[in-house]
Amino acid sequence: MKRGHRLAVAAATGVAAAAVAILPAIAQQMPASTPGYDLSGEWAPRFHEDQPERIPGPEIGDYLGLPINAAARLHADSWDASILTLPEHQCKPHPSDYSPRGPANLRIWKEIDTASQQLLAYHTHISWQAPERTIWMDGRPHPPEFAAHTWQGFSTGVWDGDMLTITTTHLKMGWIRRNGIPRSDRAVVTEHLVRHDNYLTWIIVIDDPVYLTEPFIRTTNFVWDPHQQIAPYPCQIVEEIDRPQGVVPHHLPGQNPFLGEFPAKFGVSPEAARGGAETTYPDYQWRAKGAPAAPARESDPPAVAASASDGDVHVLPVQGNVFMLVGTGGANITMQAGDEGVLIVDASAATLTDKVLKAIRTVSTKPIRYIVDTDADADHVGGNADIAKQGAVISGGNMGQPYSGAAIIAHEKVLARMSAPTGEPSPFPQAAWPTDTYFTKKKELFFNGEAIEILHQPSAHTDGDSLVFFRRSDVVSAGDLFLTTTYPVIDLERGGNIQGIIAGLNTLLDITIPRDKQEGGTYVVPGHGRLCDEADLLEYRDMLTIVRDRIQDLVKKGATLDQVNAARPTLDYDRRYGTTSGPWTTDKFIEAVYKSLQPATGTKPSR
Amino acid sequence: MRSMGRKPQSSQRSQRKTSSAFSAFSAVAFSAFSAFSAASAQPPPSARAAAPIDLTGYWVSIVTEDWRYRMMTPRKGDYASVPLNAAARKAADGWDPAKDAASGNACRSYGVGNIMRVAGRVHITWQDEDTLKVESDAGTQTRLLRFADPAPSPSGDNGWQGYSVARWQLAGPQRRGGPGRGRGATPPRGGSLKVVTTKMKAGYLRKNGVPYSEKAIVTEYFDRHTEPNGDQWFTVTTVVEDPTYLDEPFITSSHFKKEPDGAKWHPTACRAE
Repeated sequence: MKRGHRLAVAAATGVAAAAVAILPAIAQQMPASTPGYDLSGEWAPRFHEDQPERIPGPEIGDYLGLPINAAARLHADSWDASILTLPEHQCKPHPSDYSPRGPANLRIWKEIDTASQQLLAYHTHISWQAPERTIWMDGRPHPPEFAAHTWQGFSTGVWDGDMLTITTTHLKMGWIRRNGIPRSDRAVVTEHLVRHDNYLTWIIVIDDPVYLTEPFIRTTNFVWDPHQQIAPYPCQIVEEIDRPQGVVPHHLPGQNPFLGEFPAKFGVSPEAARGGAETTYPDYQWRAKGAPAAPARESDPPAVAASASDGDVHVLPVQGNVFMLVGTGGANITMQAGDEGVLIVDASAATLTDKVLKAIRTVSTKPIRYIVDTDADADHVGGNADIAKQGAVISGGNMGQPYSGAAIIAHEKVLARMSAPTGEPSPFPQAAWPTDTYFTKKKELFFNGEAIEILHQPSAHTDGDSLVFFRRSDVVSAGDLFLTTTYPVIDLERGGNIQGIIAGLNTLLDITIPRDKQEGGTYVVPGHGRLCDEADLLEYRDMLTIVRDRIQDLVKKGATLDQVNAARPTLDYDRRYGTTSGPWTTDKFIEAVYKSLQPATGTKPSR
Repeated sequence: MRSMGRKPQSSQRSQRKTSSAFSAFSAVAFSAFSAFSAASAQPPPSARAAAPIDLTGYWVSIVTEDWRYRMMTPRKGDYASVPLNAAARKAADGWDPAKDAASGNACRSYGVGNIMRVAGRVHITWQDEDTLKVESDAGTQTRLLRFADPAPSPSGDNGWQGYSVARWQLAGPQRRGGPGRGRGATPPRGGSLKVVTTKMKAGYLRKNGVPYSEKAIVTEYFDRHTEPNGDQWFTVTTVVEDPTYLDEPFITSSHFKKEPDGAKWHPTACRAE
């Protein structure tokens, strides 16, 4: 690949990592940042507010002063502290909107462009779990929605007088209070840092359409402490409890025995302890005396974020030889490119083929050798025929009749779904059918100097799902086993099952290894949505396991589907993954889970 | 010294030119100096005219922090978060709200050391050109933030709210360092308000009798910020230093959201419990 192409791709996609590489160029192009009051230095936290919550930790069921909705409440009611014993949960750092509240010895320093003396960025380091954060001051844009989210998010800052105002997006799912009150990955956080004499006040405003009914504001104070020395904070995962793989500790709805302890212990009314925007206004004090309550402001459910909404196909460098291609209306494509040619996982929708080919050519001009289909859905295989026609697998020898296009690899169930018995119409033209199928647990390939594992996941989204693991690049393509846009589509008629989905996610968790503090390392390309890593995958696995357990409990009690729906077993996730319209509604998802778990058709968890 | 008695013509012309130039320069300089003197002679702008931020209006405290210390009366002895010394703990353990009410001290938790933490609304107006008035509906308290009178009278009762001296803190102008670049280049951009209060009656940092003494010094910093949804806020960072009851400065920050009018203004009397 030509260097110019690489830079163009990186600049176009706005990936944070790539942006670092083009920093000097940006520094010359962007307008100079207006200088404000220097915030650099060592800052010691003061815990003169909310100390019981911030240091010992919050009580179970203490939601005081939080403008949360019913979804957040159910999420926290279900939270079991034992979840923190799971290996994948142990080293999570506080996200940037929470970390100033914890044990937060703070260092702030500036990054100055040597030539122009322009302020490029502020950096922060906080003691607990040692998260480091960059606040870009050079006017660069935020990355596209389909870029990876991180614990610290992507932050840009501007000066408003002597106040530094920061906007942060691309946060991982986090927490507002460490007792299960969640903050979603859709949140946008605005912060204001202002220094007065030797005091630093840090104002944080969280706007989360998933779990909050009003923006949530809190303020935290620090004192300048030039003698401060921050110790290192490595984190090593240990096995704390021997439990079957795939178990996610949580409380079933209505069965958390600890929720009543907090109000009783501190004389707080049980209603106030449940939180809600109205409880944060002083009017709430005399509400019990007859004054009308301020109505809670519920916002509409957020629209499901599209992978890319401009109709184009975008290229996102992931790592190693692997790229992610994202376009509206089609599944994500994972592309591996090297000296031997191009391999793509899924071909996306037929309507996007021209744009897909164009996008591929911005990265590599080598022949397309392989297409790997993760399932037989039209938004994954629709481009098979036309893209394969543009490619050329190297064949011959004992491989039978030479084939002129790119090879199409899939599990044999995919071929069965795409073709038809003789004499019957086929849902796809023969040119789109897989040319190379496998029927065992996995198929191996070595291409572009990299070992590639194609793993069959039976009875998940369908019965022919494949995961594709690029071992050297450390990227795994998940297909529709993992989506960041909706609940998983469980295609019961084509052999899908919630148990297989969860088993597949646990397999993915076995494959992924984070680089540090549950971030980076192995990246995961979902079937739809944004680039992810293990922590994102973990949230999705936990969510589905909890929902599965709730519905399974109701099924065991003999509940009908109507009764299950009435119980709202997905309430705490609906504003993130649910929808009431389109081809895959929340009701359809619940029905599919319910049917998956019926004794006659259900299967036991395999992991 | 001939040259001193009669200068060559060219030199004379040169001198005339120089003299004319000097005269012209002098005239301009004098004119500029006069204008400067006139400007300097004018009184400085009032605090109201010089305000870099507008704090006036009705504001409601949004209690998202210390809820159980602010929205309800915490139990006796619950003084977590406050850096109290032994004398303060002893005093707090002896809290008797009935005694406070009976002795006319029901407003102890509404004093300047805690008033901005009390859940309620504040109404901020200019009492005059150099005095900002902060009224609280909770406890029906009034604070006067004085820009013009820097010193409290040594005697006299300043009440629960003490004597507050206010000063605008202007955001620094952009400056560039280096040779020939040491000049301030732009006017101030925004700023904040600093208020130092002394001479108050002793009161409570929390409603359950956590004390501060009449020797306390309360320093406050007011900052304005507007959020992406259009909500306007001010945040006040309050630092209470008290040699009698505190081991270190007690620092809190409280946030208030602007309301369109006083429709929800709800004055109440002080309550001791």
